[in-house]
Amino acid sequence: MIATDADPIATLDAAARETFAGVADHLIPAASDMPSAGEVVTPDRLRFVLRSRADLLEPIRTALRPELGSDVRARLEALAGEPANLAALQLAIVAGYYTDKRVRDLIGYPGQMAIEVKSWLVPEYLEEGLIDAVLARGAVWRDPSTGQRAVVENQPRTYAERFAEHVPESEGGSDGGDRA
Amino acid sequence: MVDEPADVLIVGAGASGAVVAKRLAEAGFRVVCLEQGDWHDRADYPGNKLDWELQARKDWATSPNIRGLAQDYPIVEDDSPVSPLMYNAVGGSTIIFAGAWPRALPSDFRVRSLDGVADDWPIDYFELLPYFYRTDRDFGISGLPGDPAYPPDTEDAPMPPLPIGAAGMKVARAHTKLGWHWWPEFNSINSAPYDGRRPCVQRSTCQSGCNEGAKASTDLTHWPKAIALGARLVTGARVRRIETDASGLATGATWIDRDGAEHFEAASVVVLAGNAIGTPRLLLLSAGPGHPDGLANSSGLVGKRLMMHPFANVAGLFDEPLLSWQGQFGDLIESLEFYETDARRGFVRGARWGLAPTGGPVNTALPSRAGEQVWGPEHHEHVRTHLGHGANWGLFAEDLPDEANRVTLSGSVADASGIPAPEIHYTMADNARRMLDFHIERAKESMDAAGAYKIEVDRLMRYSGWHLLGTARMGDDPGSSVVDRWNRAHDVPNLYVVDGSCFVTSSGVNPTSTIVAIALRAADHMVETRFEQRVPA
Repeated sequence: MIATDADPIATLDAAARETFAGVADHLIPAASDMPSAGEVVTPDRLRFVLRSRADLLEPIRTALRPELGSDVRARLEALAGEPANLAALQLAIVAGYYTDKRVRDLIGYPGQMAIEVKSWLVPEYLEEGLIDAVLARGAVWRDPSTGQRAVVENQPRTYAERFAEHVPESEGGSDGGDRA
Repeated sequence: MVDEPADVLIVGAGASGAVVAKRLAEAGFRVVCLEQGDWHDRADYPGNKLDWELQARKDWATSPNIRGLAQDYPIVEDDSPVSPLMYNAVGGSTIIFAGAWPRALPSDFRVRSLDGVADDWPIDYFELLPYFYRTDRDFGISGLPGDPAYPPDTEDAPMPPLPIGAAGMKVARAHTKLGWHWWPEFNSINSAPYDGRRPCVQRSTCQSGCNEGAKASTDLTHWPKAIALGARLVTGARVRRIETDASGLATGATWIDRDGAEHFEAASVVVLAGNAIGTPRLLLLSAGPGHPDGLANSSGLVGKRLMMHPFANVAGLFDEPLLSWQGQFGDLIESLEFYETDARRGFVRGARWGLAPTGGPVNTALPSRAGEQVWGPEHHEHVRTHLGHGANWGLFAEDLPDEANRVTLSGSVADASGIPAPEIHYTMADNARRMLDFHIERAKESMDAAGAYKIEVDRLMRYSGWHLLGTARMGDDPGSSVVDRWNRAHDVPNLYVVDGSCFVTSSGVNPTSTIVAIALRAADHMVETRFEQRVPA
């Protein structure tokens, strides 16, 4: 992460922040029971974004320059010719918005979760017979010696058959006594 | 610095370099590796942090041109619709690769014989099979044995398969209806504790480094073992050229440290493992009086035949929530139904499909790779219907070799050490275009059968050059190949190329499994022939 002690927001004057909020409201307005980005992406949220991505500050500042006027649509049309500046502005608004806890709660996104993998359980697709359907169709690979789809003798047609073939001897019916 | 030359100097600490280092260190070789990047602490990876999606677009981007970090070198790519992707660190691109672990298929090694195009390899699938098993164990592979898209195995993956998620189940059921192949993907990601590493937690941030250490990156799987066996790994070491003596043997490498100071590392044998952009760059940089067109380049093929797997994405949207921002990234499932040639389709060879998770809200909300953007009041509905409701087929098309697709040295752009940058020239072939068009239509049928109410297509993604292959090809004929069947340069008997540069054809699958199996085979051969190896006086 790129981080500096200086407050990145301090380099955006009041007019620039007002323009930022206007663009944010235009791109993501309040609708469908969701708040607007202008409301959500407060200076604190923008500070969070810029502390993570200090490289965005200059293109955002350029995208917010007063010369582009007060009309948001006209500004965005002008920025279509400055894709790097427009992309930085869009990213800051979107990232500020969707890293906000209230917004995440409203869209049902808890963040990238740590979920335990239960690899000891039999997968649903095995129980449902989906693998058996694949095995029943036989080999898919092309045999280089014939140029044709391979023919494999005695290939298992169900996963149970395949699994039974590969169970280690000590676990497969013998008591293992003959291995002593 | 040690006074005595190393037995083997390896350039690059990524997948193939680590495999060779560990194997040679096990055999008692004195191994030194020069790596331009650094070690990473996985606690610093952004995947479990709030700003993950911000970091994934800059310092953790897959393109070195976007990252622009000190350890990266720029790549001039104006003459290519596809950007090469890589990472420079201990672990190399395994730090940011997805972890999907399919092997090349038997037909991939016989493309000329079977389909009348490109070339056959001097080795085949069955010769590599023992090495696949060994590298599967070393990296730690999760997978369901018995995939009928491959010849029967005598050894299963060391761990059970990872979950395929709700999206995988939907598509698996669809393929059952269609009578099409699918299989849970093999991934180099732990599904259970393995080799001192923790299991996957399905966070889906594999391409930003794995916080758990569950994904096999060689900084975890190989380098600690190699170093414990005596290998010496030098980080922040950018190699400028391979030096040779009057007899044409490699004598070592000149490299530049972080402060700009120049060093020379002497070695009896040099192994290049810098990927199919970095390795030809270094060979071309190493031109000298006896080899004015670059080292090991009497065939004129160094840098040529660059292959990158043209890639398309077909996304289905579903009414019900699929939690599809979670899951290994990595793939959930794969399909090889249309992998092999069928002349009726109007092209030769085929493509592998991998079903992957779909990303978080920032990725969903921003303009898509296909350029779709939804702002205004409809934005909220767009995010609600896309986030966690998608299933993505990634389609990897086999890329046939073409000498016009190549890596050269830039005359105007250099890295931070002043070394000329690589420049790539790449055009997607008509065969690959027809192939992708066909596969896109079939993938749309797959999504349709799965019940998708909307299907979105990205026909050729720019940032998809994950698979860098072919720029120092293997072959028996020194006139038409750079390295022999043991990865030794025809022109320089103590120089080896063990990364994806050696690929004769690209296959249509993610190549890391095959790259490391070939690298291990080469290392075994180095051990077996150590007493016949010619070395500088």
